[in-house]
Amino acid sequence: MKFLERFLNNMDKTLSEGPFKVFHPMFGAINTMLFTPGHGTTTGPHIRDSIDMKRFMGIVIFALIPSILVGSYNIGAQAGVEGLFAAFMFGFLKLLPIIVVTYAVGLGWEMIFGHINGHDIHEGFLVTGILLPLTLPPTIPLWQVAVAVSFGTVIGKEVFGGTGMNLLNPALTARAFLFFTYPGDISGDSVWVALDGFTGATPLAVAASSTGSAVDALNTAGFSLSTMFFGFTSGSIGETSTIAILIGAVILLFTGVASWRVMLATVLGAYGMALIVQFFGGDVVSGMRTLPAHYHLVMGGFMFGAVFMTTDPVSAAGTNAGKWVYGILIGVMVILIRAFNPAYPEGMMLAILFGNVFSPLIDHFVVQANIKRRLNYGK
Amino acid sequence: MGVFKLNKGYDIPLQGSAERRVENSPKTTAIAVQPIDFPGMRPGMKVDNGDTVKRGTVLFVDKQRPEISFRSPAAGTVREVVRGDRRAIQRVIIDVSADTSESFTSFSKTQVADFTADKAKGILLASGLWSALRQRPFNKIADFTKTPKAIYISAVDTAPLQAETDMLLDGRVQDFQLGIDFLSKLTEGKIHLSTSSSTESFFSKITGVEAHQFSGPHPAGNVGVQIHHIDRLLAGDMVWYISPRHIAQIGSFLSKGEYPGSKVVALTGSELINRHYAKATEGALVSDLVNTPIARGKQRVISGNVLTGKQTKADGFVGFYDDMITVIPEVAGRRFMGWVQLGLNSNSFWRLFLSKFTPKRKLAVTTDMNGEERAFVSTGEYEKVVPMDVLPVHLCKAILVEDIELMEQLGIYEVSAEDLALCSYICPSKIEFGDIIEKGILAMEKEV
Repeated sequence: MKFLERFLNNMDKTLSEGPFKVFHPMFGAINTMLFTPGHGTTTGPHIRDSIDMKRFMGIVIFALIPSILVGSYNIGAQAGVEGLFAAFMFGFLKLLPIIVVTYAVGLGWEMIFGHINGHDIHEGFLVTGILLPLTLPPTIPLWQVAVAVSFGTVIGKEVFGGTGMNLLNPALTARAFLFFTYPGDISGDSVWVALDGFTGATPLAVAASSTGSAVDALNTAGFSLSTMFFGFTSGSIGETSTIAILIGAVILLFTGVASWRVMLATVLGAYGMALIVQFFGGDVVSGMRTLPAHYHLVMGGFMFGAVFMTTDPVSAAGTNAGKWVYGILIGVMVILIRAFNPAYPEGMMLAILFGNVFSPLIDHFVVQANIKRRLNYGK
Repeated sequence: MGVFKLNKGYDIPLQGSAERRVENSPKTTAIAVQPIDFPGMRPGMKVDNGDTVKRGTVLFVDKQRPEISFRSPAAGTVREVVRGDRRAIQRVIIDVSADTSESFTSFSKTQVADFTADKAKGILLASGLWSALRQRPFNKIADFTKTPKAIYISAVDTAPLQAETDMLLDGRVQDFQLGIDFLSKLTEGKIHLSTSSSTESFFSKITGVEAHQFSGPHPAGNVGVQIHHIDRLLAGDMVWYISPRHIAQIGSFLSKGEYPGSKVVALTGSELINRHYAKATEGALVSDLVNTPIARGKQRVISGNVLTGKQTKADGFVGFYDDMITVIPEVAGRRFMGWVQLGLNSNSFWRLFLSKFTPKRKLAVTTDMNGEERAFVSTGEYEKVVPMDVLPVHLCKAILVEDIELMEQLGIYEVSAEDLALCSYICPSKIEFGDIIEKGILAMEKEV
């Protein structure tokens, strides 16, 4: 171990100057991942909390493991592969290349910008690199993944100054890019089953196109509340299994890595709006508006978005009061898009990006309220 | 009378508090009076190397405000006037010899009661103890040309391993009361004395103060937090604050007519073998107080507490405003895969380590940064350790972009570096909130 440490220390010196300097950000990330930086405090508090960004982001990846496992199995199960392990391996081998391409391309960009801006590769990308593949269908062409990651990393994040400065969630920016540029490969009925020529509509598509009650249509298509809850339906890799996502949610909430305010507000916003839509459904007899409110919570990307995407601390509202507004806004928007937009049955991605855009404005009002309280004090 | 129960904040479970017994310091070889203890003050020297001084002899005065003098807490010979960068005077070291004292007029309680504000001011300025009074905003020695809105005293001990106020006062209730009587001449407003359940009994008979009770985790004991809850400080306001120990010293100065050169210092920190309170001379040499061998690079000596204290060394000195010495282990080098460890012994505010299941267990914490600087991530955790209606992240961002107006609007006057020290402690991005706040306060001061 001492040998490895010495080797890394020497390497660090060699790479800080000279022609291979461009690799230093990448090396720095690996270096500090293997051994803590070991720096002592110089000012301020003489002792510091054991937490760092690596631990922080590591917990998010840990929380994504249930979704990765169930998602992989489900790819196999949807393609008709028999047996638990065989189905899992079939799916995992579909998912793995997507993750590898995401990381390779994304880290490449991170390395270039790290070099330009003079810092190490930031840990935020480790999470983005897992989140994006989980929001894609298993049949996505890998070159599209590479293009999307480039867009998400460069336009979604680096042009703003890198991790922490971005306005939009980089993973969703990448997904939105694919959604609008190559809609045929990311939506519709033919992309969800990882076998050529096989089609399978997602529950949301079934509900949206139902000619009678949406629940009847779902039942006919084999989508009961429990299959959707456990996640054995077609859909993006990580989004189908609500239970796996909820396990991740428990981890994030227990550790305090994700904001419970955002998560709860998003769920309440969506559930409340869905109740309103249903209540005022009136004479509507078919389609999404006949769907009971609780169905919305287990269908499509809602839960995955609510747990892993809305809670991204960088693109969410930063103030505690703002987090409630931000979450409710996203919850309401997703139901509005699902119920009233004729073009796409799913609204979570756009609702979150919409929330991201508004979060600085929301924070602005919270800050103004704080200022006003101070001005009015003693009057 | 106010009762304030604060819920926000955090007590770091740290090993190494001092036993509640006061011992006489075995020896006093040298002491120092350090201009660096008084930020922004430039000293005008009155003594030189080799001069003999008595206890109470003026060593230097504030160049901008020569009325404010700084006196020697012990008799002896000036060993060295130590200079640092750009020849700025850092400290005046005095080799201590047999005690002789300058004499001042002494006053009885009834005489003090008849003081006018100007007379009281004059006496305190001449005593060399004026620097014990500090002001908010700007956390510097109080401006004697102004009259403060109120004077605040915190006798609430919440900082990590904090020296306990009743031990520091060592039974000197009468001196403390005389000090309060004297201070009441300096303001037309109130004197606010905050106590906690553990210090309340010591102060129960004190008169002439507005008593408050504070409870809750650190930083409930910070005077800035208490001001925020008792009567918020807004643009244009000025208040003064002073520690209970200094009040007792002022009382002792008045009743005896001698410069009070001694104070009680708590010896704390996991690296110390003998941890107790020591009766010491003001500005005492650390190695005179501490009988544990200290190696540089292995241990860190801090004058003050681990959050806000100043780094010093075994041959350094106890700061003027500090009542404690903390000795903790220095960072032990790089740890293999530190970020994936289970963390049975990891100190953390977050629930990301197993140590969170044993919250009462006290840990020996090193000076390890435990990470590298990253961008702000607003998780809402910072607000949990700031028991004030301020937005720490937004205030810091306003300072970083040097937006003076926004800083003022977001309450720069209400905070000091020590009030946000826990933000730096818990920060996963390792942002130095304290440095940023200090920068903001300096910018404000220039602007006003």
